[in-house]
Amino acid sequence: MEMASLLNYTTFLPLLGALILLMIPKTEEVLIKSWAFFVTLTTFLLSLPLFHNFDGSRSSIQFETIKSWIPSIGAGYHVGLDGISILLYLLTTFMMPLAVLSSWSAIQNRVKEYMLAMLVLETGMLGVFISLDLLLFYIFWETMLIPMYLLIGVWGGPRRIYAAIKFVLYTMVGSVLMLVAILYLYFLHYNFTGVYTFDLLQIYTIDIPFGLQLWLFLAFALAFAIKVPMFPFHTWLPDAHVEAPTAGSVILAGILLKMGTYGFLRFNLPLFPEASVHFAPLFLVLAVIGILYGAWISMVQRDIKKLVAYSSVSHLGFVMLGVFAFTVPSMQGGLIQMINHGLSTGALFLAVGMIYERRHTREIREFGGVTRVMPVFATLFLIVCLSSLGLPGTNGFVGEFLILVGSFQVVPAFAVLATVGIIFAAVYLLWMFRRVMFGPLTREENKNLVDLNGREVATLLPIIVFIFWIGFYPRTFLDKTEATISRLAGTMEKARAELHLEKQAPYWKYLVWKGNP
Amino acid sequence: MLLQYIPILVLSVIALGFAAAVLILTHVISPKVKDPVKLTVYESGLPPQMEARLRYPIRFFVVAMMFILFDVEVIFIYPWAVVYQQFLAYGSFIFWEMLLFIAVLFAGYLYLYKRGAFKWE
Amino acid sequence: MPIAIGTTDLISILPIAIVSLFGVYLLLQSVFAPRMNRILIPYLGILGVGLAVVGNFFLIGMEGTAFEGMVRVDRLTVVLNFLFLITAALSLLITISYHEGEHVEFLEFTPLVLFSTAGMMVMGSAESLMTIFLGLETMSIALYVMAGFRRTNRHSLEAALKYFLLGAFATGFLLYGMALTYGMVGSTNLTQIAQYFTQNALDVPLVALMGLALIIIGFGFKVALVPFHMWTPDVYQGSPLPVTAYMAVGAKAAGFAAILRVISLSAFSIAFQWSEILWVLAVLTMTVGNVVALVQDNIKRMLAYSSIAHAGYILVGVVASNDQTVPSVVFYLIVYLFMNLGAFAVATMVAGQNERRVNIQYYRGLGYTQPLLALAMAVFMFSLAGFPPTAGFIGKFYIFSAALQSGYVWLVILGVINSLISVYYYLNVVVAMYMQQPVDEKKIAPVLPGVGVVILVAVLGIVYLGIFPGTMLSVLR
Repeated sequence: MEMASLLNYTTFLPLLGALILLMIPKTEEVLIKSWAFFVTLTTFLLSLPLFHNFDGSRSSIQFETIKSWIPSIGAGYHVGLDGISILLYLLTTFMMPLAVLSSWSAIQNRVKEYMLAMLVLETGMLGVFISLDLLLFYIFWETMLIPMYLLIGVWGGPRRIYAAIKFVLYTMVGSVLMLVAILYLYFLHYNFTGVYTFDLLQIYTIDIPFGLQLWLFLAFALAFAIKVPMFPFHTWLPDAHVEAPTAGSVILAGILLKMGTYGFLRFNLPLFPEASVHFAPLFLVLAVIGILYGAWISMVQRDIKKLVAYSSVSHLGFVMLGVFAFTVPSMQGGLIQMINHGLSTGALFLAVGMIYERRHTREIREFGGVTRVMPVFATLFLIVCLSSLGLPGTNGFVGEFLILVGSFQVVPAFAVLATVGIIFAAVYLLWMFRRVMFGPLTREENKNLVDLNGREVATLLPIIVFIFWIGFYPRTFLDKTEATISRLAGTMEKARAELHLEKQAPYWKYLVWKGNP
Repeated sequence: MLLQYIPILVLSVIALGFAAAVLILTHVISPKVKDPVKLTVYESGLPPQMEARLRYPIRFFVVAMMFILFDVEVIFIYPWAVVYQQFLAYGSFIFWEMLLFIAVLFAGYLYLYKRGAFKWE
Repeated sequence: MPIAIGTTDLISILPIAIVSLFGVYLLLQSVFAPRMNRILIPYLGILGVGLAVVGNFFLIGMEGTAFEGMVRVDRLTVVLNFLFLITAALSLLITISYHEGEHVEFLEFTPLVLFSTAGMMVMGSAESLMTIFLGLETMSIALYVMAGFRRTNRHSLEAALKYFLLGAFATGFLLYGMALTYGMVGSTNLTQIAQYFTQNALDVPLVALMGLALIIIGFGFKVALVPFHMWTPDVYQGSPLPVTAYMAVGAKAAGFAAILRVISLSAFSIAFQWSEILWVLAVLTMTVGNVVALVQDNIKRMLAYSSIAHAGYILVGVVASNDQTVPSVVFYLIVYLFMNLGAFAVATMVAGQNERRVNIQYYRGLGYTQPLLALAMAVFMFSLAGFPPTAGFIGKFYIFSAALQSGYVWLVILGVINSLISVYYYLNVVVAMYMQQPVDEKKIAPVLPGVGVVILVAVLGIVYLGIFPGTMLSVLR
């Protein structure tokens, strides 16, 4: 089959699956679950040829589809993959079957609605990664909020309503300003070329004045920084994670957070290269603060899930450090680290979910000596923890190493500080592991814990395969991103050079400025 | 120029001032006797018999409303009658126009009739 | 001066004539027909609206004025006619289901809806200030009566009286403004007014500006702009639900039709004079509407404040005053029609007999007791909040894009922040429906066919216009 149409099919297959799911009666819960699993698994299998056929040596968009959608305003259905999005696309299709599998017994009520939300969510997320039209991107970006909001709000923990509303409002604060910026770009492009279009690739070509870039950059950056979440905007994350059901956390950490970092790579850097260089110091500082702060807070958490949630802040700090160092290895490392974080943190949440299902608590002090009753679980959990803290041989090491190497060339002090963050990570993860898994079995309830069943092992095992694959042979994945990242690094290099030539434009004037853009 | 209006301004100030002064002065210097007889309503010197405000049945208002309604509509017929001859030369539209108008009015009348607006009880 | 009335003139008011004739006919039918046949009246009303829709097809492609420059037929007229007729038809459908639960005689209801719709269409096709005034009064007087239709309910009476008194007051402003404009221009014809403003664009006499300002106040009252919005919550709350639905959509659309005709089109050349004022009004309207809506726990009041806020969004499109103004405003009105009528239809179903259950707490658990009804309500709420892929998003997007084209960056930023605020209270309904337990076990009556059709049409309209807005947008351009 032609790859471009395969991309469209895989993206909308979950939505089609959701429509068919509507016809299955509510009471057939097993059928509903199996169908959802089947659809997500098929989506994953169908997306494999995309990965295989993707030519990593080309930096251009591949598997492209351009169709007119709203011709009167110049919005089109323009999708495709490049080195930035291919891995994230695969990560999404890979995590979804696992997320469905993990909800098999955890979700007891309203199974049908739950699976519907999951499937719609998958199409939304895939759409975000493939959109190359600003309006289309925005629509997917916002659409995705609705099912996630319902997942947290309906199937979440005791404070789920608060967490769900907080999640939506935080995310929207950023994205509404992004919408204004998108519209602004639209008219800017018209003024430069006389063509009304939302097509990202065409908007890439215009040369935006520096003073204007700064404002547009900030509008986009706010949306993505909240999503990442970067340091001062992270407060929604622990609430959302703690209240969300296991699969919700897995998707949230594994994929949704990546959309923030993806947004920086896809929009902020190429659209506003000079502004990105200008603001890089700020973002590097925030990234390092995020790394250290996230790790610090993780150390004192009593709730395992909260610990993992805060560790995400720390890990995403690494990604941001890599992205804003603008070197090829650091950005590649950032990209790989996004995948790593999706795998490792996703697996951590899965593991936390498994133990929560058994004991209905996530307090660290409620456990101890679990290794004795759940040896399989302990082994898998250890591997996942080690991968998350970046042990050589696991995926975490590759990503963090590349980021540190890349950023050391540019901002050595920050790289050193970030290394401290890795040490912290070892501290909080291993400390948590020791308190939960080792020591005497003090609690009566823990003595009767049952080890993982086949389904649960099957949920974790594929992730562990990839943990080692990326750990030992990352070239399979790095190769795909090589050309795109090199080109992006080239753009940034050029911007760095030009920024010195650029007159420091009085950009305050854009605040009070009125008239046609 | 505005200067020529100054006499008017002066006149208004004097007029207003005089009126205000008279009102305030009578209020201040007049003797005040408050007994029941003084406070009764003045009815041509006779003692009042009952409340001045009468409660009319709601029917009066309905009839009054309908009267005004149909009375006002008749006004439209006057200008029509004035230009009738003149416009007849351009076709009979002007005739049918008024017929339509009256037909609509008549429909309203029929509605009121059936709805019982003219029934006194 | 001869007046020749030709076929073109009559065709140009064909839908208006059909609706008016049906109104008169049904008024007589309601008193002359045996009691048995009276339940047919709303259906006959829908038939009349349907015939008017057919009649409206004859207007497509016409371009020009009729009745010696009193009526204008152009694409805007045709689209607005469709809009008003669909609103009327859907409101009548809600009515059919509504008065099964109410012990109120709904005899004159259908004729009043038809008269009021005729008034709206007159406003939409006006070419003269006189015509606008005529339409406005026809529409308003019928609405005043409809607001008080639950005669035994105190709130309903309060609504009618308040609406009538304040409406008459606002009409006074409007009429005075028209008089001043006429005094300066020497004509009530909108084309001549436009010419006048173009000729005197650089030095507009103060009196003409005052006239325009008073006209803005008059229309601002009808569409509930802050600070002329005080009547809205009480009137929306007191009126019977189908009337509220009809009023919220129809009267607002008619008001904006008049604003488009008089302010946006006729006074286009002096836009710099009024756009600053409307800028302030738009921001005030959006902000007050949204902020006050946050604390409402009655669904009718919440929707009332939300409708104020939406008037603010639409006004943003008017402020833009460029070639996008008319299409973006009309598109938003169409979207608003679907989402608001849909929301009111659901509210009618939930409210039950005597509208006892209008608090948002009665929506708790609706997602599980009435899954389809709740799903529809969720779609309406997400659309009102402006989430893609619903039509509400495209509507807002188009309005804001029009404003940004004219360079109103701050207005757009305030607008999007406002729509962010609105997310909270719209989602409150979703929270109640899906995330909370029902307060009482009382079953909601099954969805009646009339309301069911309305909800279905509304959902389909929202989803279709949300995902494939292309066709509609190119029609409006």
